[in-house]
Amino acid sequence: MSAAAGDSAKAPLVINGVVIDDTFAEAFPMKATRIVITAHNLTWARHAAVATTGFATSVIACGCEAAIERELDAGETPDGRPGLSVMLFSMSGKELAKQLERRVGQCVLTCPTTAVFAGIADGPEVIDRIALGKNLRFFGDGWQISKMIAGQRYWRIPVMDGEFVAQETVGVTKAVGGGNLLLLARDTDAALAAAEAAVIAMKRVPDVIMPFPGGVVRSGSKVGSKYPALGASTNDAFCPSLIGLAAKTELTAETRCVMEIVIDGLADTAVGAAMRAGIDACTAIGAAGGLLRISAGNYGGKLGPYHFHLHKLLGQGAEGDQS
Amino acid sequence: MSAITTFTLKQGPALRVDLRGLTPTALAALSVAEIERLTVTHGTQMLPLAELFGVARSEAAGAIDELRFVGDLSRFDRIGWQLAGGRVIVDGSVGDYAGGGMSAGELQVSGSAGELAACEMSGGLLTVAGDVGDFAASTLPGSMDGMRGGTFIVRGAAGARFGDRMRRGTALVFGDAGDFLASRMVAGTIGIGGMAGRHVGYGMRRGSVVFASATSGTSAMHEIADTFVPAVADALVFWQLLSRDLARHGGAFTGLPSRAIRRHLGDVAAGGKGELIVAC
Repeated sequence: MSAAAGDSAKAPLVINGVVIDDTFAEAFPMKATRIVITAHNLTWARHAAVATTGFATSVIACGCEAAIERELDAGETPDGRPGLSVMLFSMSGKELAKQLERRVGQCVLTCPTTAVFAGIADGPEVIDRIALGKNLRFFGDGWQISKMIAGQRYWRIPVMDGEFVAQETVGVTKAVGGGNLLLLARDTDAALAAAEAAVIAMKRVPDVIMPFPGGVVRSGSKVGSKYPALGASTNDAFCPSLIGLAAKTELTAETRCVMEIVIDGLADTAVGAAMRAGIDACTAIGAAGGLLRISAGNYGGKLGPYHFHLHKLLGQGAEGDQS
Repeated sequence: MSAITTFTLKQGPALRVDLRGLTPTALAALSVAEIERLTVTHGTQMLPLAELFGVARSEAAGAIDELRFVGDLSRFDRIGWQLAGGRVIVDGSVGDYAGGGMSAGELQVSGSAGELAACEMSGGLLTVAGDVGDFAASTLPGSMDGMRGGTFIVRGAAGARFGDRMRRGTALVFGDAGDFLASRMVAGTIGIGGMAGRHVGYGMRRGSVVFASATSGTSAMHEIADTFVPAVADALVFWQLLSRDLARHGGAFTGLPSRAIRRHLGDVAAGGKGELIVAC
């Protein structure tokens, strides 16, 4: 979930009838990893990947944000079987390790025919390594076998369909979480159409995921709440149901539906590229399709070091500022 | 710039010579004259290298220091002993303990090697174009672990006890191997391109022995001991990982990823977590 929009509506840029707010998305540093899940066929790889990335929409309550990045054909995987690349993002390497172990242990180890491999190559961007099969091996109750192949250690754990093969560790990299777009539309159909088109375009960009259901979130949030126990609450300035009721609104009367897309990426350039791809897809639909404005959520620039200015993304390519 | 130091054998020695200590790193800082004055054992005597070799020095553009030996060095033992970096190239055959205890770098032998080649090797690459004697990739007498890392390639045949007590690393023999192949093997990977002798995997605890001969079947081994049991389940993922890594070495190993396999698990007298893999 994102924060309330900040300095919007300074100098509207209009593309195909869609107003692009002069504002920015504010993003945060995270820790991320990528795993490759393979299986006997893509169906079973997908079952495992979907389960692994379930309940992983927001670090607020899920521990991590995770999603399928893309499908991999047999020629792209270590074992020559079809698979999927999955990325997980968390606020710390320790939490990421905990989430990865639980999710792979309960969702990949258990899923018929699967195997799991590191999806991030060794390199300077790898700041740490966390367990993948390293601890899951104990499920083998002493029958597990370690195997070093080409400098990488794998664990072979006997299971009822043969053996589960898991690479011992996977690299962790610095990452960027919380890039976002707000799509302000005439009605629900138009908002969904724009959001779906944006997500499809963003999925073509490497190194990013959109962790919410279908890549889209309808419950954008602001920082704080009238209830002291809550750190975040509904983004009332973007709720059409509160036009005329809330003290401040960012919407006009013709805006009846707002959708948000949150983007996590391995680098700020990847997040920026995905935002640009999403904006392009949305503006291609244009005002004729019911999309009225594109905005972004931020906290006034005070909290997150990554600022993705929408106008800069459109005018100068996909780059974010880090302040 | 890197230094290439070339040792050209003047004449074969009457007795065995121990060349331990002659590594690219150790010699890089020495002049030719200093190298010529270095002494090595010849039987019970100490001889300066100049009596055995003509020594020359040249420079190359690369960053890897290199030693080159030219001649039949069958009576020269411990070439590349505890090699920790750089490259050693032998244009000829070598004696015993070649590459023993090496931890990094590269040793290339264009001829054959004697006994105990690559014994207790822990890293680097050792390539022997010819044959190797007994106890290659194995352990020194009295030691618990044999080869424990790195890659050992034998393009010819191997003697008995190849990989005895081997613990880690990859050792490939493109030709035949003698008796007691992979005996007491602890872990690691051995690949055989030809036939193996008797008692394969005797006392093997873990590890993989791959028979890649194009005519493998069970004929790659004289027999499979009763202490090995046929594997019922497939290990397709593991096989793809391993076979793809072995295939890059060429020869009989090239087509392994596309070949079906049969596995036997054992030695159950020693835990049973090793496996003999026969490519069909």
